[in-house]
Amino acid sequence: MNLPVIGKVPSDVVVAWMVMLILGALTIIFLSKKKKWSLLWEYMRTTHHRKIGTMYIMAAILFFFRGGMDALLIRTQLAVPQNDFWVYQGDKYNELFTFHGTVMIFFVAMPLLIGLMNVAIPLQIGANDLAFPYLNAVSFWLFFAGAMIFNMSFFFNAAPNAGWTAYAPLSTDAYTAQVNNNYYIFGLQVSGMGTILTAINMIVTIFRLRAPGMKMTRMPLFPWSTLVTSVLILVAFPVLTIALTLLMFDRYYGTHFFMSEMGDPVYWQHLFWIFGHPEVYILIIPAFGIFSDIISHFSRQKVYGYKSMVGAIVLIAMLGFMVWAHHMFTVGLGAFANTFFAITTMMIAVPTGIKVFNWLFTMRHGAIRMTTPMLFSLGFIPTFVMGGVTGVMLAVAAADYQYHDTYFVVAHFHYTMVGGTVLGAFAGIYYWFPKMTGKKLDDSLGKWHFWLFATGFHLTFLPQHFAGLNGMPRRVYTYLPEDGVAIYNGVSTAGAFLMGISMLFLLYNLYKTAKSKEKAAADAWLGDGRTLEWTVASPAPEHPFEQVPYVKSVDPFWFHKRRIQNMPMGANPRPSPVSVKTIQPLLFVLTISMMSIAFIYHWIWVEIIFGLLVLMFFLLRTLTDERESVYRKEGEA
Amino acid sequence: MTAVTQELFKDKRMGFFLYLGVEAVMFLTLFATYIIFTPPDTGARPEEVFKAKEVLKTSAALLPSSLTLLLAERGLVKGKRSWVWGGLVLTFLLGSTFLALEINEFYRYAAHEGYVLSMNNYLASFYVLVGLHASHVAFGLMWMVILMFRLSFSKLRDYFIEKHKIFNYYWHFVDIIWVLIVLIVYLPYII
Repeated sequence: MNLPVIGKVPSDVVVAWMVMLILGALTIIFLSKKKKWSLLWEYMRTTHHRKIGTMYIMAAILFFFRGGMDALLIRTQLAVPQNDFWVYQGDKYNELFTFHGTVMIFFVAMPLLIGLMNVAIPLQIGANDLAFPYLNAVSFWLFFAGAMIFNMSFFFNAAPNAGWTAYAPLSTDAYTAQVNNNYYIFGLQVSGMGTILTAINMIVTIFRLRAPGMKMTRMPLFPWSTLVTSVLILVAFPVLTIALTLLMFDRYYGTHFFMSEMGDPVYWQHLFWIFGHPEVYILIIPAFGIFSDIISHFSRQKVYGYKSMVGAIVLIAMLGFMVWAHHMFTVGLGAFANTFFAITTMMIAVPTGIKVFNWLFTMRHGAIRMTTPMLFSLGFIPTFVMGGVTGVMLAVAAADYQYHDTYFVVAHFHYTMVGGTVLGAFAGIYYWFPKMTGKKLDDSLGKWHFWLFATGFHLTFLPQHFAGLNGMPRRVYTYLPEDGVAIYNGVSTAGAFLMGISMLFLLYNLYKTAKSKEKAAADAWLGDGRTLEWTVASPAPEHPFEQVPYVKSVDPFWFHKRRIQNMPMGANPRPSPVSVKTIQPLLFVLTISMMSIAFIYHWIWVEIIFGLLVLMFFLLRTLTDERESVYRKEGEA
Repeated sequence: MTAVTQELFKDKRMGFFLYLGVEAVMFLTLFATYIIFTPPDTGARPEEVFKAKEVLKTSAALLPSSLTLLLAERGLVKGKRSWVWGGLVLTFLLGSTFLALEINEFYRYAAHEGYVLSMNNYLASFYVLVGLHASHVAFGLMWMVILMFRLSFSKLRDYFIEKHKIFNYYWHFVDIIWVLIVLIVYLPYII
């Protein structure tokens, strides 16, 4: 390992070191002064779904600022033609967009959604926790460790630089021999494990821990979308695991899976997109679920076409596995393959359209309340439709030869990912904030956040369509005045900073709410709650359902309040998951991280030692299993 | 099992089956990789590398181990400790024989005959796929040691039954993967 020293590393890394030292010191002072160490220790050992969900969201917001900073640096470099901003040209720029993409997809969008699932799913289905609380803690720390490993790379001046897709052969050791892309492999590998385990946890929870009477067809739509998403994760993420493993063999052990001569770089693209395209549906489907619940709540109406909503999600998920090659239209797979994948891609517009119309019909004749979560949901609909329309344009394989790898694609996926996933996550955070903390975020600051964010968003990404149509390629660090894209880029940069400013409103809102003493009610939003999470106190207690209600229909709480239907308590609730307070998950993941770092830098003995330690943790786990005492009490006394 | 442990066991079983599904997708991807790159254009070809006798030996060790494990499962149902012990010990012996044969096979390829990982992608995907399976067997052997340790001082009640059953699923799964390896990796090139 070549330890980087001042003078040999780019100045941005040095600045980052200093900022981190200052921030680190400030954090330690803050924690000591406010006597928060015990709280931190409490969260480090927790296995409770609400606390873990909150940690997911806090970590994701942290990384959102990290990835957002990259975005602002990118936009500053591209603000004017032939710009020379700081150090961000050439390979440094490659590191910048690689970091931005990877962080935003894996360490912002995923944990935001998984965090909301953690908070809301058990409460919405009447469960006392996720099915496997200990495993849930392991999942969270795996995600966090993966993100930390990935972020470490920058501080050691070794940020990955082959794009978030890490296309071979660029990502193999023939072209990027430095350790940079090892960080990519292990960061994603570790956090990917966490994602897989969460998906297992969610599926078991949703199948086995629902309240009595809550048939699958009586579940709210967020649990439905979580279920479908989790299934997608189980099929898509293992493919990424293997793809990364094969890439690791190419980089470490002299194989040639993804190098020409013997191997095939296109095989990497296939594997990556067999994972990667379901991945974008993994990111959008939970947002669909959040919007469905919010729109129905604030329209005071039942979701229109519940069954078609569920059917549409399932259909999107299934089609999601048949479209991966639309990322590869220009590779030369042949006319037949391109036609097939073009048609399957266009077909996705149908179920998505069904959902859009259902949301609109849900609002029709409704008594609409313009709260912050509702505003984000309303902002989502036109934005996402625009992203969908450009998606269909991109699906036309012949036309894609023009659009491919231009800013048109960049604009498209930001309209879907930011306009869908990020708006959905914000809506969800505002919506379920009372369940996480017992307080409501300030509504007028929330509206400022929304309007500035939405305006900034369209200013940033709408012009990028035109820059792309004028031929501006992705992943270039500058352009010429005569290219005719300067005005679009200028506007885009201004918009990006507006989005950055809007995020400060969220920060201020979080600060202000933390200071305020106002408590949120159980049915926090206008008393209009429809589903079970609004029957329990805010914040949700550790054991929310002492008695689980018997569910007779969709939106049971709403019909109960309107006296259309009563909601009796169910008899004989099933046993709650066995929770425990333990530091083991954190230590276990720390050991895995050390092993990964040893792999990144090829320290063979450290690899072996920490590999053995990881195995020892399995032994420790089986010897300290918290279920044992429950079983003894039950059956072996 | 009581009602409570029964429910908790069902949670765990479902979770573990899903996990095995994840593993199945991983192996599926590796099988696809093997099929794509075999036979190779350069370097050693599978017909020269594989020996029918070796595959027979390893299969003869691993496949019966699923049957001996069934013995332990019967013992669990009937509450006969001796059957559980016998089944586990036999399974462990067969599993370790398999692992020894497998390591021997890898060693012969790599050290004596020069069929190394980097020679071509057929060998590379062979080593990654069969190596991943062998490491599953190794993990299963360690698991069995823990299980036997547990058996030596616990009754055949809920908690042990749960641990034992979860292990059974794992071991049978690893065996099924071996059958697929024989059918897809070896068989087309040794007959």
